[in-house]
Amino acid sequence: MTTEVRGETRPEGDLTAEQKLARLRELFADAPEVGKKALENVLQKLTSQVSQALPPPVQSAGRVGSRLGKVSELTIIVPFAPGGAERLRTFLRLFGGNLAGADDVGSVHDMRFVFLDNDTRMLFATAYDGDWDAYIDDFATKIPDFLDIIDSAWEGWPGIRSPEAKDYLAKYQITAEGWYVANDLTVAETRRLRRIGEAVDEFLDKVGG
Amino acid sequence: MTVIDRAGGNLPLGPVTVELEDIQATVLRYRPEPYYGTHVLLHVDDARAGREFLRTVTPHVDSAADWWQADKPWIALAISYSGLAALGLPEDSLHSFPEAFRVGMAARADLLLDYGVNDPKHWEPEFGNGVIHIAVSVFSDSADTWRSTMDTARRHYEGRPGLTVVGTQDFGAQPGDLNPLGYRDSIGQPAIEGSGVEPLPGQGPAIKAGEFILGYPGEVGVPLPAPQPDVLGRNGTYVGLRKYQSRVGAFNRFLQANARTDDERELLAAKLVGRWRSGAPLTLAPDRDDPALGADPLRNNDFSYAADPGGRQVPLGSHMRRMNPRDTKMALLVDVNIHRVIRRSTTFGAPYDPTALTQQDDETPRGLYFIFLSAKAMATLEFLQQEWINNGNFMSLGDERDPNVGLQEAGATFTIPREPVRRRVHGIETFNVLRGGEYFFLPSLSALSWLGKER
Repeated sequence: MTTEVRGETRPEGDLTAEQKLARLRELFADAPEVGKKALENVLQKLTSQVSQALPPPVQSAGRVGSRLGKVSELTIIVPFAPGGAERLRTFLRLFGGNLAGADDVGSVHDMRFVFLDNDTRMLFATAYDGDWDAYIDDFATKIPDFLDIIDSAWEGWPGIRSPEAKDYLAKYQITAEGWYVANDLTVAETRRLRRIGEAVDEFLDKVGG
Repeated sequence: MTVIDRAGGNLPLGPVTVELEDIQATVLRYRPEPYYGTHVLLHVDDARAGREFLRTVTPHVDSAADWWQADKPWIALAISYSGLAALGLPEDSLHSFPEAFRVGMAARADLLLDYGVNDPKHWEPEFGNGVIHIAVSVFSDSADTWRSTMDTARRHYEGRPGLTVVGTQDFGAQPGDLNPLGYRDSIGQPAIEGSGVEPLPGQGPAIKAGEFILGYPGEVGVPLPAPQPDVLGRNGTYVGLRKYQSRVGAFNRFLQANARTDDERELLAAKLVGRWRSGAPLTLAPDRDDPALGADPLRNNDFSYAADPGGRQVPLGSHMRRMNPRDTKMALLVDVNIHRVIRRSTTFGAPYDPTALTQQDDETPRGLYFIFLSAKAMATLEFLQQEWINNGNFMSLGDERDPNVGLQEAGATFTIPREPVRRRVHGIETFNVLRGGEYFFLPSLSALSWLGKER
């Protein structure tokens, strides 16, 4: 696995399981009753899980963000430019909110566009394969217009062709505190397995008559 | 032999819109056939001595003028970041270089996936620690002119106080110009817009000059960031050097273990690379080798993958198809033109020996200086190492890696698409082991004069 050469991103990575649990109990001493009770109920289970399980192999996804297996998370909260919210909403509704055109990118598992605070800010969240900027230059030459239609809704977007585009994204990106994906295969692997599954079924149909 | 001679005088000439007389010869001149040469690695102990060396040697460094018909040997000169610092380049100028260049190839090992046997801690002692400041290379097409040109170069560095030779590597002079694993190499270079020669058959549309030479628009439409001042950056480019030791014994053992006859072994060797050892591409010669095709620069690259989408001729994971996927429908959105490099690699040491089978044979000094040029060489190498060499995802090949230059994990495989079912070959090893690497800046001739000025 190529990811094994990257460092852990968790700052608490050095604490022992006992220290982590002690810290959690300390914080929950001031929690509402329902939370305090819940922690006591599962404490034994947690203790055995934390001490037995290997630390989750969550890695850095490059400059910002986390990766589990081959799948990374990207979360951006960014202010809208004047009129940006209305422009982006109208654009997204062309497709009923579904950007199936992103199929061609081949590394995007999902995307969500959430408008916040009375259309003044936006949350963009996606799960994607690999490092976040590996293919960004390819986007800049292959699909610059689609990206600039979306991203020009954001305040101060320099344009995907600009050398500052990566810095802009990194500036507004927030690394998730928790990151879990059940399907840690890449989109390409998932599609390949689907094709193989269909071929195997066809084969079994023929064998089974 | 020049490019135009190799093409039977039949080269399609075109407009020149880059300053060929200021750009170093190596950027555009193809490696001669046959080829002979030497890389000399220098350390600058004293900035004044280093600048004096630059002043006296620069008149002998050749330009790319008329590169397609230039038939003389040439001298090239490249400078590492530590070399630029040792020459006394002003601080603001040093800081105008990209970070990956400033810290050097060894310091970027984690981004280059240079770990395990390729880890910089196993490199030869002169590499990866800022000792190599200047690389002087001589390229020639005959043993005689190689020696006389080396004499010219040597006069300027040898015995000069304040300058130390830290490495010398003769290269080339291989029977048939074959690389250490026995293949004709350096076929299929990118076509560069405005370089004076139109794309050769199969090269595809010319790529914007700014991808390879600083100061001109790249594929995005604007020039890439260049070191400052302008006289230093313009018409220069970056060079990456990676010294590989070829484990010929391991390679031959792999071929022996996975093929029964000589013909089968040659086919397997061709499937790994995408070309027969002669250079003939499997697309045009799918069943048997065609040495005349392999040697013909107007034909040996003249193909696309339109009729081979699944890789039954050229496997999707073969070295050639990974490094230049051409029109392959890939699993990811890719712009092939922004990931190309100019290659000027040089083979050194003992020639390929098909009977070498032992572990001792793996350490017979024999290998390749993989030398590549690009206006963004550092970013491109990191991309290629992460995405196209040590990863199979872009070709829907899972964790499979490049069979030629990939760093293989235990249990590595190589998939050969076939009818009715694919063949998956086990036992792929790291056939080329990294033993050193450096980034250099290849300044223009006017930048070399500027760098040599007394300050």
